[in-house]
Amino acid sequence: MKRDPVDILIQMAFLEGNVTTHGLYEETVLKKKVGDEASKEARRNLIARLEAVLNEKAQAQNVRDTIGSFLKNIRLERSLQPQEISAQVGIGGNIYRMLEEDRISPLKISAASWKNFRLFLGVPMEKLEDMIRRTLQLIVFQPSFKTTLARYKDKKGGGKKADALKRAARELYSKAKLPLPEKDERELSELLKEISA
Amino acid sequence: MVKVTNRQVVEELRKGDRNGAAHLVDLYQSRLISEAASVFHIPVLDSEEIVNDVLLAVIQGIESFQFSKSDGDFHFWVMTIFRNRVRDHMRHQTLSEGWMANFAESEKENAEEYTETELEVTRSILRQYGESLRIADQNEGGGGKSPGKLERIGEVLDSLETWERVLLRCRALDVPYEDIAKYTGKTAKQLKVYHARVKKKFVKLLAQYYPELAGI
Repeated sequence: MKRDPVDILIQMAFLEGNVTTHGLYEETVLKKKVGDEASKEARRNLIARLEAVLNEKAQAQNVRDTIGSFLKNIRLERSLQPQEISAQVGIGGNIYRMLEEDRISPLKISAASWKNFRLFLGVPMEKLEDMIRRTLQLIVFQPSFKTTLARYKDKKGGGKKADALKRAARELYSKAKLPLPEKDERELSELLKEISA
Repeated sequence: MVKVTNRQVVEELRKGDRNGAAHLVDLYQSRLISEAASVFHIPVLDSEEIVNDVLLAVIQGIESFQFSKSDGDFHFWVMTIFRNRVRDHMRHQTLSEGWMANFAESEKENAEEYTETELEVTRSILRQYGESLRIADQNEGGGGKSPGKLERIGEVLDSLETWERVLLRCRALDVPYEDIAKYTGKTAKQLKVYHARVKKKFVKLLAQYYPELAGI
């Protein structure tokens, strides 16, 4: 098809958002008869790529929440300010920030605060228990992962390897059984008992 | 092919259902490749890549999509992503040297329809656009906002009569004359006859912004 300089200019203006057809172009695209522009192989390959992305997303959704990820999500969902949550839970702003970044052991938060947390954010006890355990595991095991990742940082292509390792670590957290040290396990059981009492 | 609704495709993709990927590809792969290649004259291999990117972006962002009016909302959303990807490709092309050669090719094809002054006007706008892209690219490392040099096109189109404006906008995007006729009060036959004339009028108006070229 012959290309006209005026059509080219108008197309560019359309693509840059300076010109609109008020939906007429989009409707036309839908009405056009579709041929076999994509080969069977191209179709297969694209479906495989899209399925891989769907799988990745599903895996990411299966990763269990920590206290930090839960707080970040719920704060965005409900448009809450950190101060609102920290005030309701009865903890200071600094402690809240550390909780949201999973940088503080949940054992350092009182049972009374966890009870407030449950009530204010409407978290079932079972889910809270799981999140506290997951967060404690993260606090206990994360330093050893970080040490491993640090070895790759300064090497050539280290960024890519570090990314791959981060993904692997995330997956590992979601699937692995990470036994807590006995002392932590004991303290955790006591805390959970107190919260559910 | 089984007919699926957009709502069904969206639901499948949100649930991570593999059928959703196949349905999305059946709905859009060939359609958009054809669109990129025939309307925007993008080489077929590049068109395929663009469409792959579009459909990957659809899956990545499916959670953020919301139906607000009808089932057709999804199509408009996909088309917005498509338009943005085509725009990025065009910007990239404009920054490369090959683009002006392509444009020169189209000028040769249309040498009989436009005067040298008129062609120089279109060339100037494109050069300015390319220049503003280069500046934006250097300042922001690419991918920034619209460089804005094409605003003049919109302004000149607005100064035309409504039917002329609709005709030029829609024909540039390959909307059939029969469809344009419904919105202009003119028959498809009349629009076909007037099209070349309206283009000339548009370029003449555009040339008023470039008095320095009048003496060519």
